[in-house]
Amino acid sequence: MSGDTRITGDIQVRALTKTFRTTTRRPGALGTLRSLVNPLWVTKTAVEDVTFSVAPGELLALLGPNGAGKSTTIKMLTGILVPTAGEVSVAGVVPYRERERNARNIGAVFGQRTQLWWDLPARESFAILRDIYGVPDAEHKARLREFDDLLELSSFWDTRVRHLSLGQRVRCDLAAALLHDPPVVFLDEPTIGMDVVVKEQVRGFLKHQVEERGRTVLLTTHDMTEVSRLAERVVLINDGRLVMDGTLEEIKRKFGDTWLVRATLADPEAAVSALPGIAVLQREGPRVVFGPEGSHAPTVHQALKQVIERYEVSDIALEEADLEDVMRAAYQGAALEASDVLEESAVRGGAGS
Amino acid sequence: MDHRSAPWNAVRVAWRITKLNFRAQLEYRAEFLLMIAIGAIWQVSVIVFATVLLTRFSGMGGWDSADVLLIAAMRMMAHGLFVLFLGRMHALAYRVQEGVIDAFLLRPMPVHRQVQLSFFPTNAIGDLTVAVALFIGALVRSSQEWTAGRIAFLIAGVLGGMLVEAALFTAMGSASLRYPAAQYWSRWLEELLGTFGSYPLNVLPKALSWLLTFGLPLAFVAYFPAGVLTGHGSALGVPMWLAAASPLIGLGLYLLSRLLWSWSLKHYTGVNG
Repeated sequence: MSGDTRITGDIQVRALTKTFRTTTRRPGALGTLRSLVNPLWVTKTAVEDVTFSVAPGELLALLGPNGAGKSTTIKMLTGILVPTAGEVSVAGVVPYRERERNARNIGAVFGQRTQLWWDLPARESFAILRDIYGVPDAEHKARLREFDDLLELSSFWDTRVRHLSLGQRVRCDLAAALLHDPPVVFLDEPTIGMDVVVKEQVRGFLKHQVEERGRTVLLTTHDMTEVSRLAERVVLINDGRLVMDGTLEEIKRKFGDTWLVRATLADPEAAVSALPGIAVLQREGPRVVFGPEGSHAPTVHQALKQVIERYEVSDIALEEADLEDVMRAAYQGAALEASDVLEESAVRGGAGS
Repeated sequence: MDHRSAPWNAVRVAWRITKLNFRAQLEYRAEFLLMIAIGAIWQVSVIVFATVLLTRFSGMGGWDSADVLLIAAMRMMAHGLFVLFLGRMHALAYRVQEGVIDAFLLRPMPVHRQVQLSFFPTNAIGDLTVAVALFIGALVRSSQEWTAGRIAFLIAGVLGGMLVEAALFTAMGSASLRYPAAQYWSRWLEELLGTFGSYPLNVLPKALSWLLTFGLPLAFVAYFPAGVLTGHGSALGVPMWLAAASPLIGLGLYLLSRLLWSWSLKHYTGVNG
């Protein structure tokens, strides 16, 4: 069976940009009327100059806050949208130039929407997709068996899609996206709204597809457990710009120096002041909370040493940031960086005019 | 594996999807019957019009009642075939909002074909039942001699009418890809075609008749082909060759609308665009 062989395909994205031209309303009632006859056009940049690549057999998490440009990027890579500028190649095909050829090389799941026929049982949808993609019957049956083993589909695949639960529906969508054995898979928040058991099953399925089958996967998610379980590499975008491309460890190093040292002082009246790179965040009687300050803050263990050396403490506890905190810091940091860039360009623009 | 979309394979897949969609509709029995009924009832104005025409009047605008009935029958048959084969454009604005077009763009099949195969138009059974009854009635009452040439033109006229209607709604569908408000224009267009499509347009004021010929090509759906068939060619307000070319004009308009569709799809900005 061809399903036993590893399949390869990469993703190359260079200087990808997508802008949308839209109208905006002028303020006030008169402005609204004026906009009707003389619309005010604005250009909104959804993705700007984004460059990254995904190697064959790699799972990359594309992360960013809501509205960062993740879905727009995926839509350009899948051939749904045509980029305004830049270059894209998916398994050697330019998606927006050869949409149908690209469709044969990719599978895609958008967690919030189904791609199955709403009124048909899921298994009928699979059969239609088999015909559309021209998959030989024996291969189709073998692949269905494989997916059934991993996702337990047979207990509900004869139910109409409109009657499936969210978890059942997304599992069917995953199977449908991979039935034609695509080398590249795009997953846009595939586990959104699922219970923990089904989430775990889906994660196992995705891990199997990458590690055993060699599929290239681009995943967007807000679930940091998913990121830590599945992704080795992360691309972070915000306001349409690429903020960071690196491993999870690199992101943690850059944005994850978030920690708290909670100390109870032996002398409740002792004077407390900031230490180098350490701020006093809170004080309630003998209880003091220290946190990092500035770009040269020490690590949590260095901070612990400094606090113990400086103050006499009766109790002390450490709190380190988990991945959720790291990403929150990363998103906020990215937002600040983006606003700095905007301010800088505004100043430059102002000076030049 | 050979991925070339051989026409035979395309037909086979389309037929398979249609069968499954039809079976899916059959499973909701009450809904299925209601859809057929609404298809027939929707045409009630045409049925009332035909009944009044046949029982109270001898003709209209210089056309005798049998000839007017032929306009109504051709228009309705063209409409029924349009609903059956090419009529899934009406709710396209909703499909865009639901992200269905995004999903269609992910499959190796033309998006227009996927729109047409997205569900089975059960209401077309009602439309066509009424249309066939009206068509038989019109042919029985007609005093024309139905030679092979006339029959061929009749069939071409009906197909041309179907294509004119398909062209108009494909253009509306193209607009729906970007402007959700286009769906209201689609409804208005459907009303307009239903209201004026079954009459000889020479009963209307000249400006309106001209508008329904060259502004909105309603005259090419049934009025002109029926005029050619019933010998009213010289009184149609356009050169005879233009009226006789109605089927070809239908084909041309449809091809143009498909070009517009392709262009619109290339500039598709999606739900969040």
